Amino acid sequence: MSSDICVRVNNVHKSFQRGDEILHVLIGLTLEVPEREFLGLMGPSGSGKTTLLNLIAGLDTPDEGEVWVRDQCISQMNESRLAEWRTRNLGFIFQFYHLLPVLTAYQNVELPLLLLPLSGRQRRQQVLAALDIVHLSDRIHHKPGQLSGGQQQRVGIARAIVTDPALIVADEPTGDLDAHSAEEILDLLGELRNSMQKTIVMVTHDPRAAARADRILHLEKGRLVDEAPEAARLAGRG
Amino acid sequence: MKFMLLVLQNVRRNKLRTTLTCLGTMVLVVVVTLVWSVLTNLQAQLDQDKSKMKAIVTERWRIPSQMPYAYARGLSEGAARKEGDIRPEDSMSWSFYGGSTDPEKRTRESMLFAIAMEPRKMTTMLDELDDLPDSQAQELKRVADAMEKNVQAIIVGKDRLAALKRRVGDRFKLTSINYKGIDLEFEILGVFPPGRYDQSAIMNIEYLNRSLEKYERETGRKHVQADRSMNLFWLVVPDTAAFNKISGQIMESPDYKAPAVRVETLAAGVATFMEPLKDILWGMRWLLAPAVLATLSLVIANAISISVRERYTEFAVLKVLGYKPWQILTIVLCEALIIGTLSGLLSAALTWLVVNHVVGGLPVQLGFFGKFYVPAAAFWWGTAVGAGTALVGSLLPAWTACRVRVAQVFARVA
Repeated sequence: MSSDICVRVNNVHKSFQRGDEILHVLIGLTLEVPEREFLGLMGPSGSGKTTLLNLIAGLDTPDEGEVWVRDQCISQMNESRLAEWRTRNLGFIFQFYHLLPVLTAYQNVELPLLLLPLSGRQRRQQVLAALDIVHLSDRIHHKPGQLSGGQQQRVGIARAIVTDPALIVADEPTGDLDAHSAEEILDLLGELRNSMQKTIVMVTHDPRAAARADRILHLEKGRLVDEAPEAARLAGRG
Repeated sequence: MKFMLLVLQNVRRNKLRTTLTCLGTMVLVVVVTLVWSVLTNLQAQLDQDKSKMKAIVTERWRIPSQMPYAYARGLSEGAARKEGDIRPEDSMSWSFYGGSTDPEKRTRESMLFAIAMEPRKMTTMLDELDDLPDSQAQELKRVADAMEKNVQAIIVGKDRLAALKRRVGDRFKLTSINYKGIDLEFEILGVFPPGRYDQSAIMNIEYLNRSLEKYERETGRKHVQADRSMNLFWLVVPDTAAFNKISGQIMESPDYKAPAVRVETLAAGVATFMEPLKDILWGMRWLLAPAVLATLSLVIANAISISVRERYTEFAVLKVLGYKPWQILTIVLCEALIIGTLSGLLSAALTWLVVNHVVGGLPVQLGFFGKFYVPAAAFWWGTAVGAGTALVGSLLPAWTACRVRVAQVFARVA
């Protein structure tokens, strides 16, 4: 695999059984995401974009084809190896944040680090650094219920970057936020790409969010249909 | 250990549910602890110390056993008659004298049943009184010595004394219910150390024997109980071989044929006494205790299942973050174990404290057993019951949690 390609999806098929019916969600899909690219995935509901995101994140396996992230074929890994791989190589940002309500912001961000062989001091340094990046150093002892939606999503982003992964996937990260908070989150994602050299794959319905991406791919009925960065940027400005 | 904070936070998450689960666990551990305490106490009676066995001599064909007191002298020698015969290490006779302090009305409060025996045998033959702390042993010996000199003296347990509304130094008269016409007057010389003998009393057998003789002198005829005043006779033998030998000596002796006697180990005697209760005890051991354990597992399984169902999304998030199934399984099992272990330990400790030190023993009215106590072992078995049932009850919910399929969970959430 070429060293400047972060994600390669190669002729992937994925289908689900619903009752007697078989739904072909992804059909021979192939794509490459270069290192440090901010890729937007758009498409109508049921087009397969979340399924594609799950495959890239190693949360699901394809029926056919391969998914490579850097030099590792994650579609061949078993559940245990995938879990280890995700801890070190992947940050996931959810639409609904999915912070653990019983834990503080600090403890939520610390969760992935508990899986790594780090001392308490090292963990603390990394958690504080991640919370600093998302400008929440003054909220570390707050629980999710005490934070706004935008702040919760920023904690979610800190949790996604705390292990310093190369790849960040975001599933509609602004879908549950007001316009102002959404802008802040998109600014943060841009900063991650620009300052921290992260590769970002983002699923979104929001044209303004998509406009922040370097490239936008449209999915329809399990296939990529076009590539339209300029149109999206224009839509974002409009 | 790194996950312990998460486990503890989850336990604290729904305080009402955790509290109710703990309370349910505690109630059921109390039941198990009490049932097992009774069974353990009974088993202890059956498992005599083989290095110091007690043999029990009773009338062979009649219940209740009633033998002539004249048997006592020969039995105390183990019926040894010829060379090669052996003698017991110690012995005591048991006679029971009961009556009421109120000649008109017999109430529970006015009744007193006393063991008539040689007072000096109290400190060597009676369970628990033969193993007292020094200060209590000295006081008991002082009372026993005084009772040897004063045949009208009696020693009474604290609860019985309170029921009779008497105190040490008081004199009182009993109108007998099992020795008609022989009403005895007593002087209270002491109180038993708190515990097994709180409802008991011991009088000097010499007083009963003298009274029976006096009755004969005054009426010109023997009292109907005169030749039936000894109910039991205990012998201490060093081992099973000595028991078999002495048992043979007694059974072969012509002195104990009218009425005939039988000799058995105390454990066998207890077992015979327990025979009518064996179905109840079997039910307690094999039905009640397992049913309680199963219920306990279900209570915990239910609580943990609800908790797991509510947190499918969180488990999926943990998986996304890189948590492996066994780590999620461990987190859920640890939550249940914390609840079960702490509840079990607390419950056992409270049961032990309340039964042994507040109530003063379980008032199980079973023959001559006295009160039952919760053994110190309840601390570990209560904890083990809580932990074990929590573990069993949480296995399925924990397995469900660790098998959560991330893609399905988030498809539902979206």
